[in-house]
Amino acid sequence: MSGITENTKTSGEPSKENPSPNSSDTPDDEKKDDRMFECNICLDTAKDAVVSMCGHLFCWPCLHQWLETRPNRQVCPVCKASISKEKVVPLYGRGSTKQEDPREKVPPRPAGQRTEPEPGSAFPGFGFADNGFHMSFGIGAFPFGFFTSTFNFGEARPTPAARGTQQHMEEQFLSKIFLWMAILFVAWLLLA
Amino acid sequence: MAGMSPSEKRLQKELMSLMKEPPPGVSVDAEIAEQNLLLWIIRMEGVSGTLYEGEQFELQFKFSNKYPFDSPEVTFVGNNIPVHPHVYSNGHICLSILTDDWSPALSVQSVCLSIVSMLSSCKEKKRPPDNAFYVKTCNKNPKKTKWWYHDDSV
Repeated sequence: MSGITENTKTSGEPSKENPSPNSSDTPDDEKKDDRMFECNICLDTAKDAVVSMCGHLFCWPCLHQWLETRPNRQVCPVCKASISKEKVVPLYGRGSTKQEDPREKVPPRPAGQRTEPEPGSAFPGFGFADNGFHMSFGIGAFPFGFFTSTFNFGEARPTPAARGTQQHMEEQFLSKIFLWMAILFVAWLLLA
Repeated sequence: MAGMSPSEKRLQKELMSLMKEPPPGVSVDAEIAEQNLLLWIIRMEGVSGTLYEGEQFELQFKFSNKYPFDSPEVTFVGNNIPVHPHVYSNGHICLSILTDDWSPALSVQSVCLSIVSMLSSCKEKKRPPDNAFYVKTCNKNPKKTKWWYHDDSV
């Protein structure tokens, strides 16, 4: 019976030195056995133990704090393998009364997150670097609205339609209408 | 052990194991460390067969209460600062595990071993090329320096 429990406990960590945990008779061996279940961060016997996919044992509160320390570079403290909250396995020994997932405790597990894909280059739509002239106009407090709508940083624009196509003609027509509307609006502002 | 913060608890454990089984050529000044667990002085001998054979060095470790999540501040102190391409004459050490590559699974012992190995693999005793400028302009805390790790041969 106890052999089974021991095996369940050791499943996370390789146990080359002690093929049979029951054979540890001397105090030294016992100590070694204890150290096998120490958290790699606090060096205490792991509480609310979790094991990473790379096989390293931690207290969940310790590992959680480390993951929070470097949220954008989450690596295993021992072997620097990539690691994440979702990919650690909780360990349930015989002694633990409550079979609850330690990851639920500190803190309540957050909802899923998605990250936006990074833009291809630093300033894809900077100025008028892309071929084709874009005109945009906004109504706001006069000088500010004009500037904010003209300077678009970091946001990619769709490429203009090829010259000579129907869409190109329409776009040219629209941009002319907007240009005239803008001129009329400015003139109205100046005269009024 | 009661009433200790998690960082002090871990430092106490590390101190015990370092006093009991120190790596060759490394010893901790237990008196200083026991007075203040957040400040250690470690004595280190140059390994025989290397350029630092017969020399004695002193390392100072300063820990924050975020240790081991935050790396310790490690500098050479005392009157013998090793002449090494990654050690500045003010004792600051250019070693990636002390900042960017720190991990809470590292320990005082593993940092000491890294420094012993860094010294032992040195082929020519010289200061870093920017020593004079760095020593004049740097912050007292080496962790405030934006280190640029480019040479992993020494």
